[in-house]
Amino acid sequence: MATPMKFLIVDDFSTMRRIVRNLLKEIGHTDADEAEDGVIALDKLRNGNFQFVVSDINMPNMNGFQLLAEIKKDESLKHLPVLMVTAEARKEDIIQAAQGGAAGYIVKPFTKATLEDKLNNIFKKMGL
Amino acid sequence: MEQHPTTPPGHASDQMFQQLGAITRQLHDALKELGYADKLKGTVEQLPDAQSRLSYIARLTGEAADKVLNHVDGAKTEQSRIVQKGRQLNDTIARVPGLAKAMPELLEWSQDVVHQAEQTDARLTEIMLAQDFHDLTGQVINRVVQLAATIEEQLLALLLQSAPTGTPGQDKAYDPHTLEGPVVSPEGRSDVVTGQQDVDDLLASLGF
Repeated sequence: MATPMKFLIVDDFSTMRRIVRNLLKEIGHTDADEAEDGVIALDKLRNGNFQFVVSDINMPNMNGFQLLAEIKKDESLKHLPVLMVTAEARKEDIIQAAQGGAAGYIVKPFTKATLEDKLNNIFKKMGL
Repeated sequence: MEQHPTTPPGHASDQMFQQLGAITRQLHDALKELGYADKLKGTVEQLPDAQSRLSYIARLTGEAADKVLNHVDGAKTEQSRIVQKGRQLNDTIARVPGLAKAMPELLEWSQDVVHQAEQTDARLTEIMLAQDFHDLTGQVINRVVQLAATIEEQLLALLLQSAPTGTPGQDKAYDPHTLEGPVVSPEGRSDVVTGQQDVDDLLASLGF
């Protein structure tokens, strides 16, 4: 049984938000909200009780790297694990995400097993 | 040691921009003389059309993906109901004294129904995941549309200006170092990963 958590899914493509939301539901995480860019995500994170962020990188207004940086410099949010799920496949982007404090990095296209595996790794590190 | 005359800061770049301006003027004159200006004008005029066609593809593929996801949602709900009913049937057969023994095929069939429904549900998950093509192709299309807009802008400037004017460096050039989205041709590139295993290996090698 998955630990109940409130997820925020951040992606500018509604199709991808829906896919991630459905996959989370299948894995056992039914409590999720969506944001279409970093600005909206940050506003939702500051006003909602979220425990996990799944974010794209390439988005308008505020991209995933900027969102990650904003989360990590905010005292009330910096504890949140951020899993990057993105089509950005450059090694420098992966390293930048890791150095910026991302809890994991999934490159699109991905499978349900990959998402489940990465979530479990993060939960394990969190002691859940 | 021999002293070289020092070039004042900015002088070299001023010279470069002057040369670029001269080349642009020559190119413009040559296009005019050779009669290519009209062809170039035609190309420029076609660019907005190409952009709107690409946007049309992005919109239609998005709608198609949404339609598929709606059907997958509906089918998954139905499959889940079949699994639930199949399990209830298994329990009922097991509860009726002697039935499972007298007609073992009944239990076998109801177990098959549950198994098949679960397999269909897994296939539906794969169909759902395959809709990520909309995100991946959409990102590529957006990038091509942006590139076309930049080319259009620059070609227009070339066509409309008889002499290069403006401040050097003011043009919004296409920046190859921005986020590049999905890698369309990873062959021969060492700066990108080609799958999740590469991501995991890279992060592990760095101690993450």
